[in-house]
Amino acid sequence: MKTFSTNGLKALKLAILAAPVMTIAGLASAQELKIGLSAELSAMDPHYHNVSPNNMLARHIYEPLVGQDEKQTLKPLLAESWKAIDDTTWEFKLRQGVKFHDGTPFTADDVIATMQRAPNVPKSPSSFSAYVRGKEFTKVDDFTVRVKTAAPAPLVPTDLSTFGIIPAKCKDTTTEDFNLGKCTTGGTGAYKQAEYVAGDRVVLTPNENYWGGKEPWSKVTFRMITSAPTRVAALLAGDLDVIENVPTSDVARLKGDAKLNVASTVSNRVIYFHMDHFREVSPFIKGKDGSEIKNPLLNLKVRQALSMAINRPGIVDRIMEKEAIPAGQLLPDGFFGTSKKLKPVAFDLNGAKKLLAEAGYPNGFKMKLHGPTNRYLNDTKIIEAVAQMFSRLGIETEVETLPSANFFTRASQGGQGNVPEFSFILVGWGAGTGESSDSLKALLATFDPAKGMGATNRGRYSNKTFDAKLVEALRTVDDAKRDAALAEAMEISMNDVGLIPTHYQLNTWASRKGVKVQARTDEYTLATGIRKE
Amino acid sequence: MSDTALPAAATTPPAAPAKEETPFRRFVRSFVEDRLALFGLALFLLIVLLAIAAPLIAPQNPYDLASVDVMDSRQPPGAVSGEGFTMWLGSDGVGRDLLSGILYGLRISLMVGAFSGILAATIGAAIGLIAAYNGGRTETIIMRLVDLQLSLPSVLVALILVAALGKGVDKIIIALVMVQWAYYARTVRGSALVERRKEYVEAAQSLGLSHARTVFRHILPNCLAPVIVIVTVQTAHAISLEATLSFLGVGLPQTEPSLGVLIANGFQYMLSGSYWISVFPGFALLMTIVSINLVGDRLRDVLNPRLEK
Repeated sequence: MKTFSTNGLKALKLAILAAPVMTIAGLASAQELKIGLSAELSAMDPHYHNVSPNNMLARHIYEPLVGQDEKQTLKPLLAESWKAIDDTTWEFKLRQGVKFHDGTPFTADDVIATMQRAPNVPKSPSSFSAYVRGKEFTKVDDFTVRVKTAAPAPLVPTDLSTFGIIPAKCKDTTTEDFNLGKCTTGGTGAYKQAEYVAGDRVVLTPNENYWGGKEPWSKVTFRMITSAPTRVAALLAGDLDVIENVPTSDVARLKGDAKLNVASTVSNRVIYFHMDHFREVSPFIKGKDGSEIKNPLLNLKVRQALSMAINRPGIVDRIMEKEAIPAGQLLPDGFFGTSKKLKPVAFDLNGAKKLLAEAGYPNGFKMKLHGPTNRYLNDTKIIEAVAQMFSRLGIETEVETLPSANFFTRASQGGQGNVPEFSFILVGWGAGTGESSDSLKALLATFDPAKGMGATNRGRYSNKTFDAKLVEALRTVDDAKRDAALAEAMEISMNDVGLIPTHYQLNTWASRKGVKVQARTDEYTLATGIRKE
Repeated sequence: MSDTALPAAATTPPAAPAKEETPFRRFVRSFVEDRLALFGLALFLLIVLLAIAAPLIAPQNPYDLASVDVMDSRQPPGAVSGEGFTMWLGSDGVGRDLLSGILYGLRISLMVGAFSGILAATIGAAIGLIAAYNGGRTETIIMRLVDLQLSLPSVLVALILVAALGKGVDKIIIALVMVQWAYYARTVRGSALVERRKEYVEAAQSLGLSHARTVFRHILPNCLAPVIVIVTVQTAHAISLEATLSFLGVGLPQTEPSLGVLIANGFQYMLSGSYWISVFPGFALLMTIVSINLVGDRLRDVLNPRLEK
């Protein structure tokens, strides 16, 4: 009875206190920011699932040690500085005076707790373990942390820029409790978690005591609207202030609308075709008469012919409506570790036919292409266009598109003995670290999950010269030398046609006039990068 | 042969058909009384004709990837393609001539509608007859199954079935049959229950005819009128259901588009001004369904004894 009345009294006090706050919020309602996201998050737990939408949202609440600017160049965040003490040791100096949302001070203990939790979240569909494993973290003092590795590891700061730091108090909080907002200590970020409705929306409120200064928005609502035309319609109707992933078919129209702003930049995402490099007989390739034939994709000339038969400018111009750039490697020119020599393979149908004939397939063969639906911009149209181009080359091509979840499971491990199932697939890869070692390691290194190599090598491409060059690059601490070694590894794999890149996407945002979005190469839509004009 | 045929022709007085018309003639006469239904029938026959003749009249084979060029994509109606023919209805996002796409799409839609309609009618009617004739536990089990089936939304059931079976015309037909058989079963059972108590059935039974013969030669023909009406309505429904499934991306493959796939492909461009990609296939779908429904409505009026003058 006593508790009941005190609670009642508290509630009354709260109501009285809340009344003026609500009026202020009402007056400042113009400061609310509503953002339309194109993908759904799978959790509010910053360490549950290493996937762009989750990482992007978590960045508002839980900050990493090292930040990435809009071009994915590293910048100080919770770590004020870092340096390599010797080949295998890094030292991070933490920012002082930073507080979590409830006022708890941030110290090295939180960093150590995070490193224990991040690689070990149960049932994680894609874990952060690759970024933490093999590193030994020690606390030197409250604001200094050392990282020790067995081999030289130049990418430690990059690795530590991929996930946020949680307070030590929440190290045993489950993913479900994170979703319910039960980690009340919160993060150190500019925003606090206010509401999360799975598959629908996330509401954030600003952290009044943020070390980096107060945010201009009184409230930020992220709505998850996966249908692109619906997202555009919601922006035009004024229900949203900002949308991400503007469909290419609407970019020109939105650019012409005086009431809207459009911001875009080249993406770190490459769209490419991966092919079967590891089976003598590939399941979706047959002779013209339907008989079983030796996998023609093992022949370099066939791979070159296929790459040459793809009209990249045609795809960019007609399907992507110029909102893309033809690709000749895994990251756009100018990114760290890319080659200056590699250019997009020129479209040459006759040259391709000649190569195919030289390889011993003057009459072509039958092949079925597979791809996901609604995963990448215009994915089904791209795969159909490429099927047209292969048909002209003389390859009888069929297309099967599958819902993303289904597609990726089968493309990675749908075959006999958990090997990739398909012969020729359309996929995309965004380099989360903003440099090429990430892509080369995941897509082209010889498949070896224990070493974290070739984790997404769905073609099981394997080339010893390339592997050796990549390992050499990964152990080079000197930036200029590593850049050159990675470029060389890129050249080896592209000249060997380990996979066929087609184009880099452009990331495009649209917002109403008065709101300006900072376009980012990593596709992240960050409220901290959205400002009033 | 001629011996039997000749006297038959000779004994029939020329005036007789006018006085005592055959049931079929009466049916045709009362059907054509309604101009709208006649228009529907003419439109439907035209659509069927166009669909059958598609390979002869379409400027392009939209299923042959080598003849479709992405460089022709999103051309407005009347533009000339890279191969030199005029695309009267424009082209879609991957350069497919829409007129050809629609003609070939109609073939798929009509085929899916007809096959699933006939199959579902056959299976459903057989099950309904068995339920009505046997009665007892068989009837209870079958009819509860029918109730269960009818209580589930058909789009949802079809969606799950197609997702499980995979893409392709044959799989769509299987899914549609499984969604639609219950309508026939219920209707046929209703009619058959009434017919079963009639004297001609008792007569047939007392003559010692087998159950199968009684059911299929005597009861079934008297239950057919409502089935014919439902076939038309359900065929139209099957066509739109196929379009819905294809629109949702689980129906037919991208490279062999039905009307639903064509509409779905154009949906993305609706806001950006390329209206023709969705609108023309949508119009073709609308006309097909309207024509079948007009015919179906009139059939219902003509075949319903209660509405007879």
